[in-house]
Amino acid sequence: MRERSSLATRRAILAGFGSAASALGAGCLRRARNLAGWQSPRQVQLRIKTLPVDADPYALKLARTVAGWFRAAGIDVSVVPMADQELSRQTLLRNDFELFVMRLPSRFREPDALYALLHSRFADAPGWQNPFGYANLDVDDLLETQRRTDGDRRRAALTQLQTTVARTQPFTILTVPDDVRAVRSTRFTNWRAVDLDAPLGYLTLERRSETDESGGDSTLRVAVTDRRATENLNPLSVEYRRDGVLTGLLYDPLAREIDGELVPWLADAWTFSAERQPVARVTLREGVTWHDGESLTPEDVAFTYALLADTTLGADADGTDAPVPSPRFRGRSSLVDDVRVVGDRTVEFRFVDVIAGVGARAFTVPILPKHVWRDRTDPASIGGIDLGPVTDALVTNNIPPVGSGPLRFVRNTPREGLVLERSDEHFLHRPEGSAGSLRARAGEVSFDRLSILVVGSNVTGVEAVASGEADLTGTSVGAATVPRIGRTDEVDLLVTRSETPYVLGYNARRPHLNNPRVRNTLAGLIDGQHLANTVLSGYGRPAVGPLWATQWYPEALEWSNGNPVTPFLGSDGKVDRRRARAAFRETGYRYDDGNLIGGST
Amino acid sequence: MLLAVLLQVVAVVFALHVLGLSLVVRLEDVRGAVGTARRNVRAVTPIALTLGGVLAVNGVVRNLSVELSWLIGVNATELIHALEGRFVADLQSLTTPELTAYFSFVYVFGYVFLLTFPLVAYALHDDVRPLYTLLLSYTLNYGLGLVCYVLVVAYGPRNFMPELVDSLLYANWPRSQVLTSQVNVNTNVFPSLHTSLSVTVALVALRFRETYRRWLPIAGFLAASITVSTMSLGIHWLTDVVAGVVLAVASVAGAEWVATGPGGESELGRGPPGRLASWLRKPP
Repeated sequence: MRERSSLATRRAILAGFGSAASALGAGCLRRARNLAGWQSPRQVQLRIKTLPVDADPYALKLARTVAGWFRAAGIDVSVVPMADQELSRQTLLRNDFELFVMRLPSRFREPDALYALLHSRFADAPGWQNPFGYANLDVDDLLETQRRTDGDRRRAALTQLQTTVARTQPFTILTVPDDVRAVRSTRFTNWRAVDLDAPLGYLTLERRSETDESGGDSTLRVAVTDRRATENLNPLSVEYRRDGVLTGLLYDPLAREIDGELVPWLADAWTFSAERQPVARVTLREGVTWHDGESLTPEDVAFTYALLADTTLGADADGTDAPVPSPRFRGRSSLVDDVRVVGDRTVEFRFVDVIAGVGARAFTVPILPKHVWRDRTDPASIGGIDLGPVTDALVTNNIPPVGSGPLRFVRNTPREGLVLERSDEHFLHRPEGSAGSLRARAGEVSFDRLSILVVGSNVTGVEAVASGEADLTGTSVGAATVPRIGRTDEVDLLVTRSETPYVLGYNARRPHLNNPRVRNTLAGLIDGQHLANTVLSGYGRPAVGPLWATQWYPEALEWSNGNPVTPFLGSDGKVDRRRARAAFRETGYRYDDGNLIGGST
Repeated sequence: MLLAVLLQVVAVVFALHVLGLSLVVRLEDVRGAVGTARRNVRAVTPIALTLGGVLAVNGVVRNLSVELSWLIGVNATELIHALEGRFVADLQSLTTPELTAYFSFVYVFGYVFLLTFPLVAYALHDDVRPLYTLLLSYTLNYGLGLVCYVLVVAYGPRNFMPELVDSLLYANWPRSQVLTSQVNVNTNVFPSLHTSLSVTVALVALRFRETYRRWLPIAGFLAASITVSTMSLGIHWLTDVVAGVVLAVASVAGAEWVATGPGGESELGRGPPGRLASWLRKPP
């Protein structure tokens, strides 16, 4: 794990042998060489990277609890807190980690999303594309199968896939939290029906006009601890995006998912051919414009998919350099083979070998304006120095953003705030036109402005809502603030089931962690029920696989009185050292003075 | 929210200044105070401008230096934790709600008072040396502190062991974070500038104890309170505090050295350091 120290010890040992050998002669030298071939025993060391308490109410506590369990099994564990962007950079971009504790984005609640998360072809790709470096040929095959089959065959593949993943543990689901928010009901209502982790949630809020305390001004003010959106609004950025709620309001996709169903959004309608590699004809809504007044054309759509597949747009058509795909939306863009303009409102999608139902997922990526992004295909550089395989499109802060969504950009103050406003040109907000039925399903923006206010910590966020300076906390503030929210009149506690679990990610490229049996044993040191009960104070529940509580979740993975696949090696949150040691000994490790030793490092 | 907190701090600190002046400064010390103050201010203008410059640079590069420190700095949280273990948690377990209220008060209001009051009081005094030394020490504190912040990335105990250490200041008075987040970033904990600047004031008060006899005990007590409060409120590690004290001693010693030359007054003017010193000093 720690290469430098291992090198140093090895050198020290060799030096020791060397001097002994010269003193004692050739026989000893041979013996020394024989011995030097053997590794000196060292304790297994692991570092967990995660967020500090100011940035996330639970991540650090979860990491420290897990570290305590690992320590009980004789592993030398440390916890390293770091800022949001830095954590994403080190884990998702540079793969410079052993373990991380982060929240898995909500998009992985869909079976085909696991393709990008776990397929070995993405082991080298940046972003949430297999950050674990996980490679399992059976899993690869099953991921391919579920893309190509339908009905029972797909279901069987997904069952087998989830079971294998639960056994081989590229990551362990620590707990599925409830999101705890403070909301103020004096100006806006309908909070209970709102999913604030998704862009559409902000469209279902309703304004309480009769008692508008600030005299006609209807700004929705959101207090957040995450300052990244005030500095960068690039929908393709890996390290600045969490779930892309704000960029999801600035940019529109061809289709959005509403109540589990894919509904045409920028698209008016689409038709799929029944071939093996389906072709879809997508007609765009009429009269859609970008926020800068240009009209949104089929060229923009074709351009977007070409850019996502290769942000250099094939600048080096001779093929000498590899393409640079956008890490975000990679799973979905990999469904598309080619997009062509076939009419002044129509585009034709050619998909790879997938079923239509899976292929249509590709419609949910944000459509980008060609006239802004075509200049961002050059390799990114600082002061003329190229920085390797990355383009401007991936690293630009994209401020001001030119989108076509229901909200448009007004201004930003880095690290402090961001203001967006309702786009009256948007089809949801125009009285005429065909969007009436869509408005009935999706709602519309009921506020004039959306103001993001950065606060230093969760408690400060609650305080901002309590004092009337914000209407809600945009991110979960954690169970510890519940009493404070309860004490304040006019402020309500909003608890919603979250779709983004906390996971412990393993870097399967590293020694020890490259062994699935070790990961499986480590998972047995984690008591999900205990984490939900103590760290989350009951505001959460354990789960085994990322598709829990969906129709695709196999019954064998249901949590019943413990984890059915990697049962906890202890009870009530206490690791049974004897059982933990037995499990590691079976894995080929041994113990020296209580320290876990072995493996091939 | 920020404005409200700021006004509150200004009002309280102003009241403390009035109280402090009536307690510390005797009338016979400041006869002809207006003339003295004018002369003193003229004398320390260069160093005051330098301090202003350092503070301005600090304000501008703070965000930049955070980026830079993630790039080149050492993430030392775990190291510091390994070094001192649960000291802060144990210290915090001894506090009572009353003590916490007191520590919160001195951490915000007491600190601002401790840093600003001697500037006013010394400006009214005939002897310009304390004012000059203090300003120079502040400058060195901020300058060296900024370098440390770039080189060391670390989170405080409240951010690292939440199950043991409560974030007492922000839990009791959440609005204060609006203020503290304006002047600092949560990764800048090593060293504790609260400690180093407070101890600096106390050291200068000790060095020039003849200037205002009643100031030394007040400054000493406040500095000690603030130093303990940084740990008791869960904001700093003991390591940060120790480093802060070292920084304070170094800054005051450095300021003394610049003010008087390495071997005392007579050396002034020899060599580049001496010339720098004489320029900075600009004897009245």
